[in-house]
Amino acid sequence: MYRYDDFDAAFVKERTAQFRDQVERRVRGEINEDQFRPLRLMNGLYLQLHAYMFRIAIPYGTLDSRQLRKLAYIARTYDRGYGHFTTRTNIQFNWPRLKDVPDIVEHLNEVEMHSIQTSGNCIRNISTDQFAGAAADEIIDPRPVAEILRQWSSLHPEFSYLPRKFKIAMTAAPHDRAAIKFHDIGLKAVRNEAGDIGWEVWVGGGLGRTPMIAKLIRPYVEHENLLAYLEAVLRVYNRYGRRDNKFKARIKILVHETGIDKIREDVEEEFAQMKGGQLTLPQAELDRITAYFAPPPFELVNVTNIDIAREKQADPAYGEWLERNLHTHRQPGYVSVTISLKPIGGAPGDATAEQMDTVAELAEKYSFDELRVTHEQNLVLPHVKISDLRTVYDALLEAELADGNAGLITDTITCPGLDFCSLANARSIPIAQEITRRFADTARQRQIGDLKIKISGCINACGHHHVGHIGILGVEKKGTELYQISVGGDGTENAAIGDILGHGLVADEVPVAIEKLVDTYIAKRTSPDEPFIAAYRRLGEAPFKEALYGNG
Amino acid sequence: MDILTGNELISGATVYLSKTGEWVEDLQQARVFLKEEAEARDAAVAATKKTMRINSLEIETVQLRDGTIYPDRIRERIRADGPTAPRFDRQHLGQDDHVSI
Repeated sequence: MYRYDDFDAAFVKERTAQFRDQVERRVRGEINEDQFRPLRLMNGLYLQLHAYMFRIAIPYGTLDSRQLRKLAYIARTYDRGYGHFTTRTNIQFNWPRLKDVPDIVEHLNEVEMHSIQTSGNCIRNISTDQFAGAAADEIIDPRPVAEILRQWSSLHPEFSYLPRKFKIAMTAAPHDRAAIKFHDIGLKAVRNEAGDIGWEVWVGGGLGRTPMIAKLIRPYVEHENLLAYLEAVLRVYNRYGRRDNKFKARIKILVHETGIDKIREDVEEEFAQMKGGQLTLPQAELDRITAYFAPPPFELVNVTNIDIAREKQADPAYGEWLERNLHTHRQPGYVSVTISLKPIGGAPGDATAEQMDTVAELAEKYSFDELRVTHEQNLVLPHVKISDLRTVYDALLEAELADGNAGLITDTITCPGLDFCSLANARSIPIAQEITRRFADTARQRQIGDLKIKISGCINACGHHHVGHIGILGVEKKGTELYQISVGGDGTENAAIGDILGHGLVADEVPVAIEKLVDTYIAKRTSPDEPFIAAYRRLGEAPFKEALYGNG
Repeated sequence: MDILTGNELISGATVYLSKTGEWVEDLQQARVFLKEEAEARDAAVAATKKTMRINSLEIETVQLRDGTIYPDRIRERIRADGPTAPRFDRQHLGQDDHVSI
């Protein structure tokens, strides 16, 4: 993975010293909160309902063991012994004290991490496919280009005060696991007619109060021209994006109101001026960065298959974990392992310091010291030898991290909601907990199969409810938390925004409602091989609506 | 009826303006301003702002139920008690974090 050079190290050190000085001046009363707020936000420090919340960037979701151990240390020393992994593949701590935050940042710097641009109207952490560099179906590893984009976008002088925040996601596989069509810019590695690899560029996707599926702005941009092209997109957005209304300031609104054809013309005009200029990415630089992401020294191994049926007979829980939590690797004899952070009744995305230490040790011993964070709030050991799986599983079991539920109904995305977040209108975590308790039976989960539930505690949609196969949105009405249920959302290459089925339900009714939707699906599916989302597309919303609200 | 609430600067802890002019953790010690005490309430807001130590300062409406202060908003009830899931104790003030007006 990428290692800081002297420039990077000096840059974050200087920035940390600046932030320490800003905190000290605030504590001494030399600057007020109105002056301090933008400074702390630029460094990822929010003030939430109960305390400060500190958000740390995990670039393109990639970590090594020393970094995860450092996060565990921070959780133990400065917080309450746990951290929360987010849909931007970052980590948040919910209980730091202001005076400690500069020390925390210094600890992060020691392991080449920071919190810059985890807030504010700038280009946020770039997310990728969690199996990047490992997946059998990708055409290149997108992370070298993600790292180049990270360097380009870090404190970019022109793009530090955009009309609104800006999120980029990348994938290099035909199956989109990074939800690129719901980002301000989505990038997909593709081959052109000559067989060369470049980038398909999507623009104007997003969730929030106005969900939009991104539009294709350019089918192919060469590596060497990608920075210039993205700079052109950002320039057009920076110039024309609405600054008069926060709710209409994202690029998705600009694209929607202006039309993709006009935006494309403007971008092409800008791009024509920049193409071939100083933003051209030299092949030597791409090669230099790519070298950091060279495949690890895989062994040629004899064991290249797993007999899951046999393992299931011997140990059903292990067999079920193998069935759900492995992803096909490009290297024979290896797999990527999803570590579920979705225990029954747990808080989705939370991991204790002890669990982080366990995962760090497993990464070090069994995954070439590599780890990933997924936008679905799980962790991944990207390169595990098939013959090591049992050992890895046993260690995860001991750490209470061995739930074999990846992609099942209990593997929800859930925002922190009104239990923590100052923007939320309703609680999310208790809803997720109750749903997982209701569907705790593993046989029942497997009977249902692939089903993504996503839960947000307000219209800002941090829980991605619009793209849940079943989405749940919390609202407040006359002092009561109500939950709107939508069905049919999809964050993959088959991008779709869910349809709201009807009026909001009180919290106690939500698990029952989910049960009714699931029962309807099972009753009407053509076979157990037809997933929920496919059945919904075939059937439409009517039977699901009727299941919840009757046919009146 | 109103109370004043905010988050203390250093700890970030949820605090309430008490009857004696201190910013305290316990909602039940909060000073309740009646409708006719709007002037006193606004003076307390102004005095608090001068300390520069209380952030997210808000006027919150409450009811008195059998002598107990009960915030109208769910959000405020959660702020007073701490997160419900996972259940965590709320943030506490440190030794040097006490503020008064």
